[in-house]
Amino acid sequence: MSFKSAVITFPGSNCDRDALTYLKDLTNGEVLNIWHEETSIPAVDLIILPGGFSFGDYLRSGAMASKSNIIPEIIKHSESGKFLLGICNGFQILTEIGLLKGALIQNKNLKFLGKDCFIRKKHENKFNKFIKQDQVLQIPVAHNEGNFYCGEEDLKHLNDNGLIAFEYCKGSFSNSDENINGSINNIAGITNEQKNILGMMPHPERAYQSFHGSKDGKIIIESLLS
Amino acid sequence: MRIKILIRLKKQILEPQGKVIEQSLNNLGFQGLENIRQGKLIELDLPENLNQQEKDDIISSACKKLLVNEIIEEYEVLG
Amino acid sequence: MNDELILQHGLTLNEFQIIKDYLKRDLTMEELGIFSAMWNEHCCYKTSKKWLKKLPTNNDVVIQGPGENAGIIDLEDNDGVAFKIESHNHPSYIEPFNGSATGVGGILRDIFTMGARPIATLDSIRFGEINTDKTKYLLNGVVHGIGHYGNCIGIPNIGGESEFDSTYDFNNLVNAMAIGHVKKDAIFYSKPKTIGGLIVYIGSKTGKDGIHGASMASDVFSENDEDDKRPSVQVGDPFMEKLLMEGCLELMSSGLIESMQDMGAAGITSSSVEMASKGNVGVLIDLDKIPLRQPLSPYEILLSESQERMLAVIEKDNDTKVREILKKWQIDYEVIGEITDSKNVVFTSKNKQVVNLPVNIIVDDAPEYDREFYLPRKRNKKDFDCTHLNLEKMINNLLDNLNYLDKSWIYNQYDSTVMGDTVKEPGQSTGIIKLHDSQKVIGATTDCNPLYIRINPELGMIYTVVEAYRNLISSNIKPIAITNNLNFASPLDPNIMGEIVLSINGLKKSASKLNTPIVSGNVSLYNQTNDLPINPTPVIGMVGSNLNINKIISNKFQNDGDIIVSIGESLGYLNSPYFLKDQKITKEINTFNELEDIDLENEILTANSIMYLADNKMIQSCNDVFRGGIFMSLIKMIEKDYGFTVDLPNKFDLFCEYRAGYIITVKEDELSKVCNYLSKNNVSHSNIGLVSNETIKINSKVFDYFEIKGKYLDNFEKIIN
Repeated sequence: MSFKSAVITFPGSNCDRDALTYLKDLTNGEVLNIWHEETSIPAVDLIILPGGFSFGDYLRSGAMASKSNIIPEIIKHSESGKFLLGICNGFQILTEIGLLKGALIQNKNLKFLGKDCFIRKKHENKFNKFIKQDQVLQIPVAHNEGNFYCGEEDLKHLNDNGLIAFEYCKGSFSNSDENINGSINNIAGITNEQKNILGMMPHPERAYQSFHGSKDGKIIIESLLS
Repeated sequence: MRIKILIRLKKQILEPQGKVIEQSLNNLGFQGLENIRQGKLIELDLPENLNQQEKDDIISSACKKLLVNEIIEEYEVLG
Repeated sequence: MNDELILQHGLTLNEFQIIKDYLKRDLTMEELGIFSAMWNEHCCYKTSKKWLKKLPTNNDVVIQGPGENAGIIDLEDNDGVAFKIESHNHPSYIEPFNGSATGVGGILRDIFTMGARPIATLDSIRFGEINTDKTKYLLNGVVHGIGHYGNCIGIPNIGGESEFDSTYDFNNLVNAMAIGHVKKDAIFYSKPKTIGGLIVYIGSKTGKDGIHGASMASDVFSENDEDDKRPSVQVGDPFMEKLLMEGCLELMSSGLIESMQDMGAAGITSSSVEMASKGNVGVLIDLDKIPLRQPLSPYEILLSESQERMLAVIEKDNDTKVREILKKWQIDYEVIGEITDSKNVVFTSKNKQVVNLPVNIIVDDAPEYDREFYLPRKRNKKDFDCTHLNLEKMINNLLDNLNYLDKSWIYNQYDSTVMGDTVKEPGQSTGIIKLHDSQKVIGATTDCNPLYIRINPELGMIYTVVEAYRNLISSNIKPIAITNNLNFASPLDPNIMGEIVLSINGLKKSASKLNTPIVSGNVSLYNQTNDLPINPTPVIGMVGSNLNINKIISNKFQNDGDIIVSIGESLGYLNSPYFLKDQKITKEINTFNELEDIDLENEILTANSIMYLADNKMIQSCNDVFRGGIFMSLIKMIEKDYGFTVDLPNKFDLFCEYRAGYIITVKEDELSKVCNYLSKNNVSHSNIGLVSNETIKINSKVFDYFEIKGKYLDNFEKIIN
């Protein structure tokens, strides 16, 4: 059965083409590109909210995108149990909508961070199930506001319910800090309770072809397709 | 009528900008300027023909719906 | 109009007289403003034109040479690559964040105005000595600004260079380069085609930004000038530019645009004048129709350099469709005029003509000067005593010098992988990007060797071009064409003018020989403060390609045990200016020896050999050798925990500059095949050692691998803080 997916484009999204290419290369189904002003989305198995600077990141990253016309449809899609993946700015949008807990604030060193980072699976879900425990993935990050914050109660909730999909860790040969941006508990990606929505700061769509230097980003789609 | 809304990160959130500013002021020779926090100011014109209650409602509604992320921010209407 | 007013507008009294004589009448203030913008160095190249005309600008792969917004080269099938480099030096000194951000914005518009989607940027940035607060402030501001703009608009920064030298203490340099991908049958030019075509304004509203920016680019600073000039700096909005870019690309691919020009230096003035000139037509524009942010006089509108604005010509019938597309992207749009057959540039305001000038006098008849220039004095040969230098001292001299250290503090503030087509991380010398939906890759580099050029402008320039050339070759990228940014001090000084003339001559010689024509570029003069000129800094942006991504080779060590082979020959320390300077043997410019002549035939021969070996997968990796010698090339090849064990009979050769210099690593069982090939082709080479895990061992002396690696990776951030 073919796997249909869609990528939403907001004004200022700049990783939408990357996400479309990622899906076209790794899935065999139709891949749609939906403009943020649309009010309906055809039935698909996966929606990606891509990275970028939607609305310039003005006011707060993802804040204005979270009020777009398309959002009720996205909520509906996720409530039906289908998959929703927010990458970087997409993760920020998901927290602003309230579909995921917490918020993304400015990196602790106050600078944009564009480099490879290393993550591993913490709690299992359909997005990361093919990743072995202790397997380290190398995937680029590129963000100003990647510092995940949530209150103590929410952190307990995330841990108790196994909602922490990815945490930052040390890479081999690398002498940089494992926590690259100040995120609480090194959190790099989380899910909702139903575990059908994943928000993550690293960009798997930039790590799936040989010339990317790492193909670790493939595993997420492979996990979803199985 | 011009309204000023001051938006700040909640106190319990580590706010590195304030620390850096404090350090820089220190380096410039300013002693005793401590506990610095940085916020953002939104200014806007409200329609004239509203009463006080309507004004308060519209401001709090705008803040709740868009201007303020209540998970990490708090706000104060100035003056 | 009194003399003071004319001089304040950056025109000489003589130039003003020429205009008056031509027009046979007085000028309006608005017309004076137009000439002030269009006749300054930045727009009309009056000092450099005579010499730039001599450059090679064409061959069978050049689709578009200098004269349009960007140069374009042919990459076979329907693929073209557009690229250009441009400076934003003076604004970056005054306000580094916005100055450099808008530099990036400007160069990107030059690319997409031709219908090319920008796919990469590079930047070449130069600062003074790091130990001043001012330099730290500039460094932080410039890097933040470049990152802010490029990251937000979503175009990867794939490389560049930085240099720290006291010559730039009061004149930092920011040169921004951009590369775009265009379909050959869908290139857009600025030349309008239809008389009666509508002139339309697309983009941000106009404000007071940058008024007199183009003249500011040519003014020499006095140290106290900054505060007076601060309001002139343009503020950029990369989100707006992202929308503008998408909107314009959509308009162009929908066939709705006849011609397009971006509003850069001198805003609406230069864009409309250039359109008229290219098309040999006239323009009639009503300034009252221009969307404004705040009330502006016609004079201010004409000179405003507000960012993120484009000028286009469309057929009358397309007005509605264009409006619709731009509405989707939330971009302002106004019809402001039309193309006429008059060959005059006419601006009206409140139903009155405020400008009515023949295009010719503004563009074609702009002044061209043949300024006096001196040749550099002959140098006497000097000897230098380097006996006190041992390996440890020489290594430490480099690892304490910002110019040799890993720059991840800079490039980690840039997004280098957005758009998903970056082939290598920055930090390697060549930036490589894959064309989307294709196996073809483009490589690019920016380089300059101001010290060499200061010693001998012509020969030094040839060395610079060769450095860029070697840089591309080391990744198996075939060099194709050049964009150049000439950064010099005041041409009114005949010594400086000599640097300009001779370096252009050197560029001509090397570009011709290497078959890398110059397809675009920029000139920035008057980079000096209080009579302290900068060293001549003509930056080369070189672009090349490989039609098959699988043929690219790495610049990093690949396997423990691979043999390290050095290619080329040491210049020897007496003829290695960077060695002498950076090993602290001498620094006074008059003391350096004459540059050794460079054998371009040998460079080409060596390069072809390396490409052959790479194509046939006979080498594991390659890096070029220049500043910092073999030692720095080896350090830059370190990845993971690979290190090196090398032996060189002459320890200085490890740190000297090289002729046709490269390092290659070869699998042990391939070594004899490789060496035979090199010998057969008369390529000088020497087996100097091995790739060795967690080791740095030189001439049997063991160094602490982790300490050296750590210094190389961490010292930049330590020193700048």
